Amino acid sequence: MIETHHLSKLYSRGLYALRDLSITVQKGEFVFLTGPSGAGKSTFLRLLLLQEHPSDGEVWVNGYHLEKLSRREIQEYRRGIGFIFQDFKLIPTRTVLENISFVPEVLGVPVAQQRRRAFQVLKWVGLQHRINAFPTELSGGEQQRIAIARALVNEPALILADEPTGNLDPDLSLEIMNLLREVNAGGTTVLVATHDRELIRLVGRRTITLDQGRVVEVA
Amino acid sequence: MRALEYSFREAVHSLWRARGSSLFAVVAIALALLVLGGLLLVTSNVERLVAQWSTAAEFSVYLRDDATSEQRGALEGLIDESGVAAGRQYVSKAEALGRFRRDFAELASLTASFEQNPFPASVEVRVRPETYQDGRAEALVTRLASAPGVADVRYDRDWLVRVTAGLDAVRGVGFALGLVMIVAAAFTVATVVRLALHQRRDEIEIMQLVGSPYSFIRGPFVVEGLLQGGVGALVALALLWLGFRAALGWWGGSLAPVVDTGSLHFLPLQLATWLVAGGMAVGALGGLAAARNI
Repeated sequence: MIETHHLSKLYSRGLYALRDLSITVQKGEFVFLTGPSGAGKSTFLRLLLLQEHPSDGEVWVNGYHLEKLSRREIQEYRRGIGFIFQDFKLIPTRTVLENISFVPEVLGVPVAQQRRRAFQVLKWVGLQHRINAFPTELSGGEQQRIAIARALVNEPALILADEPTGNLDPDLSLEIMNLLREVNAGGTTVLVATHDRELIRLVGRRTITLDQGRVVEVA
Repeated sequence: MRALEYSFREAVHSLWRARGSSLFAVVAIALALLVLGGLLLVTSNVERLVAQWSTAAEFSVYLRDDATSEQRGALEGLIDESGVAAGRQYVSKAEALGRFRRDFAELASLTASFEQNPFPASVEVRVRPETYQDGRAEALVTRLASAPGVADVRYDRDWLVRVTAGLDAVRGVGFALGLVMIVAAAFTVATVVRLALHQRRDEIEIMQLVGSPYSFIRGPFVVEGLLQGGVGALVALALLWLGFRAALGWWGGSLAPVVDTGSLHFLPLQLATWLVAGGMAVGALGGLAAARNI
C-alpha cells in the first residue's frame, strides 16, 4: 500500500526533515509512526498527502507514483485517502451532518447519497444524536469522532492520522484508537503518527520509530 | 451541473456572511458602470438628436433687394433641378418682418421706427438627408452663393460638425475613465473575494485534501464575483434610470424648444443587457483572479 525508497526531505537551511527513508506498509495493515517532536512524522504524512514534495527518493501509495502525478491525478489519488488531524479541522459554521456530508458534496455525490453515507458513518461512531450540533458544542472526543466519520465517509483505502489523540485524555485516546482498529478490521490500511508510547503499547501494532528523519526502529 | 449548483449556493451564503465587504464591491462596480452607462445614455441620445437634426437640415438663400423675379426664378430652377431639395419656400421681405415681430415680440416695437424694411427676402430650402451626407447640398450652396441676385447663403452645419466632434471627445474621455474605474472595480472584487477565501481557508484545505475538483473549489469565488458584478450593474442601471427620469422632469421643459424630448430614450434593452453582462464578467474575472492560486 505504501512504499518509500530512499526518501529525503531537505528544507532550505540544509535541515533534513527525512533522510533516506525506505519503509513499507502492507495493504490492510495498522501501523504506528512514532518518535520525538521533530522526528519527521508529520512531514512524512504531508508527503503522503502531497502537501509537500520530496527532495529525493520515491513514494508509491496505492499504486500511484506520487512524484509523477498530474494535478488531476493528485485529485483522484486523494479521493482514496482519509485524513485525521490533531486539531480536528472541522468547519465551525457547519453542523455535524454538514461537516461529514461536505466531503461527498464537494466530490459531486448526489444529495440523497451524501446524507445516507454521512448518517451511516455518524451512526458508526455513535454520534447520530448530535447530527444538528455545531462543532463548538461538542467535546474534544466527540469532535475527533466526527473527524473520523468524515475521513471514512468516502470509504478510503488508506487512513492517515496525525496525532489524532494529541488533544484528548487517555480514556478518550483509547476510545479513538479502538475506532481506528475497527476501521482497520474492515480492511482499511491505517497509518497513525503519534508520540504517545503508552497508547502504542495498549493497542499493540507494528511501530516504525523515527528520529531526526531516519528510521531507528521497526517493532 | 452539481458544481454550478454548489458554487451558487456557497457564493450566496458567502455574500450574506460578508455582506459589509460585498456591499463595498457592489458599490465599486455600480460606480464604474454608472459612469460607463451614463456616458452611453448621453451619447446615444445626442447621437439620435444629431441624426434628427441632420435630417432636418436646411439652408436659406437671401436675395438682394434689387434681385429681379427672373433671377429668383433662375435660382428656384437651379434648386429644383439639383435634386437636393426636399422642399422649398419663398419668404418675402414682408413675411420676414412679420416673423421677426412674432418670434421676438418684446422687440416688435423697435420695428415701428424702421424707415425701410431691413429684412431680406429669402428662399428656404429643406435638404434631403442623403445630399447632406454625400456633399451635393454643399456643392449647391456654393453654386447659389455666386449666383446673380443672391446676397448670402446661410447653411449652418458647422455646429453639427462641432457637436459630432465634441461627442467623439466626450466618448473617448468617458470610455477611458470608465475603463479605469472598471479595472479598479475588478481589483476591489478580487480583494473582497480574497477576504472570503481567507475566511474559508479551512474548507478549502479540506476540499483540496479530499481531492475535490477545481470547479468545486474555485467555482464559489468566481460566482461570488459574478453576483457582485451583476448586482452592481443592476444598481447602476436603476440609478441611471432614476437620474434619467429626474433630469427629464427638471430640464425637460427648458429643453423642449430646442430638443424634442419625446425622442430622448433610456438605454435600449440590448445595451442594458450588455451592461449587466459586462458587470458580471468583470466581477467573475475579479473572482477568478483571486481564486487562481488555490
